[in-house]
Amino acid sequence: MTPVMDASWAVELIDFGKSYRTGWTGARFRAVDSLNLRLAPGEVLGLLGPNGSGKSTTLKALGGLLAPTRGQCLVFGHAAGSDAARALIGYLPELPQFPLHLTGREFLHYCAGLSSLAAEAATERVSEILHWSGLTAASDQRLGTYSKGMLQRLGLAQAILHDPPLVLLDEPASGLDPAGRLALNRLIRDLATRGKAVVFSSHLLAQTEQLCDRIAILGGGRVLAEGTPTELLGTVQAAAPQPSRLEKLYLDKLGEHA
Amino acid sequence: MPDAVHRGATASLRRIRLIARHTLGEALRLRLTSLLVVVGAGLVLGVLELREFNFGSAELKFIADFGLGALGGLGMLLAALATAQLFFNEIQGRAAYCVLTRPVRRREYIWGKLAGIGALLALFTAALGALIAVLLFWRGGNAGAAMLPVLSCACAVQWFKLTLVAAMTLLVCSYSGSALFASCAGLILALTAQVRPFVSGGGHLTWLRLWPNLALFDAGAVLSAAQPPAALVLLGLIVYWAAYMTVFGVLASYVFKLREF
Repeated sequence: MTPVMDASWAVELIDFGKSYRTGWTGARFRAVDSLNLRLAPGEVLGLLGPNGSGKSTTLKALGGLLAPTRGQCLVFGHAAGSDAARALIGYLPELPQFPLHLTGREFLHYCAGLSSLAAEAATERVSEILHWSGLTAASDQRLGTYSKGMLQRLGLAQAILHDPPLVLLDEPASGLDPAGRLALNRLIRDLATRGKAVVFSSHLLAQTEQLCDRIAILGGGRVLAEGTPTELLGTVQAAAPQPSRLEKLYLDKLGEHA
Repeated sequence: MPDAVHRGATASLRRIRLIARHTLGEALRLRLTSLLVVVGAGLVLGVLELREFNFGSAELKFIADFGLGALGGLGMLLAALATAQLFFNEIQGRAAYCVLTRPVRRREYIWGKLAGIGALLALFTAALGALIAVLLFWRGGNAGAAMLPVLSCACAVQWFKLTLVAAMTLLVCSYSGSALFASCAGLILALTAQVRPFVSGGGHLTWLRLWPNLALFDAGAVLSAAQPPAALVLLGLIVYWAAYMTVFGVLASYVFKLREF
């Protein structure tokens, strides 16, 4: 059965709140409080904010890894975490540790099986996605030999393997060097041009400014500011992520050295 | 758009099989597994040096008893420790998030883990059982070979016991926050089940009658009978085992469904 995208919004957070019980006293800690956000298909939303501002909690709620204690969390009109919603998302957790004894190709085949892709379609899709993420050459190497950047690209590859219309990325650039970050930015932008909605969290303000159609700044579990970069900054966003002058110099020098 | 999200029982079983195969692959690479296999093999082979402490038993009986004792003891450790380690490796490394955000139901994840660990325990039991069989045949010739049907039954009964320990530990894992707690709690629950016949006489511990009685899966008793248990007895044990496996699996699935990350 094909899941139905029966809403015009890829993501709708309506008065979304999440609180946890902590310690022996059972006191409640409010991680997110009354969050209202909407994202259309083909848009990239960047969640900015300090640690503990509620970025990861929001992404986990959209991924169905935790349930809202208040409000609604909808994915194409389906309650986040439902079977229908999970079929429509791809999720990359922060710094995931994949099974190191598998090769990149084996890992993606495992993920394809879990997403119920038929065997032939899976083989074709895995090859396609390996090419897209630039991992074809390393596809038969064990993950234990992958660099952090390669693992992060593999993480992104597993998230979009089943071609979901919504991609959730938790700190996708953490631990990446400038070249890896730039490659990741291009992959994310490419997803948006293919009509995918992307939500990612980041501490990198420049990356977020370059990549996003919408930006939400969170603090203390609330939206402090939200809008397009133009609305927030009064500037027009570049069509594709460009390296800064320092990044250009850095990449040129690395290229010369290689 | 995903073009093949199947919701039927076949798709569900396929995902359980995938998770089980993945879990078995991980389990076979655990240092703990290698360590316990080596120690187990050492103990089984070491029985030849310990024959003088046989308390009057016949040599073949002593080899089988001692070997199955090692299998049971180390198997219990493997069941509790490997279950906790495999479960928490994926949760703490966040690799489980990549699984649980797909159209994989939480119960499929739990049953897949259980099946994978069951397969590991089957391999462990078969490996040590085969070693005991080789020793019996070597030391006893035809008399040793005659013991093999009973030994096979005793090994199967041990496997039932070990998978129950794994299921108990998985139930603890489904709500616990640490591998250490889950391992310890799993072992304590297993020991409680092992000594249950001694404490279920009445009084404050009457409620323990609800807990599985692992003493029923006593390989020593199977050996002492010198012939495989009657089909009806074996069937009874299988039903008892299946009932408790179902209870633990369903409870673990339910608790895990409510778990947040």
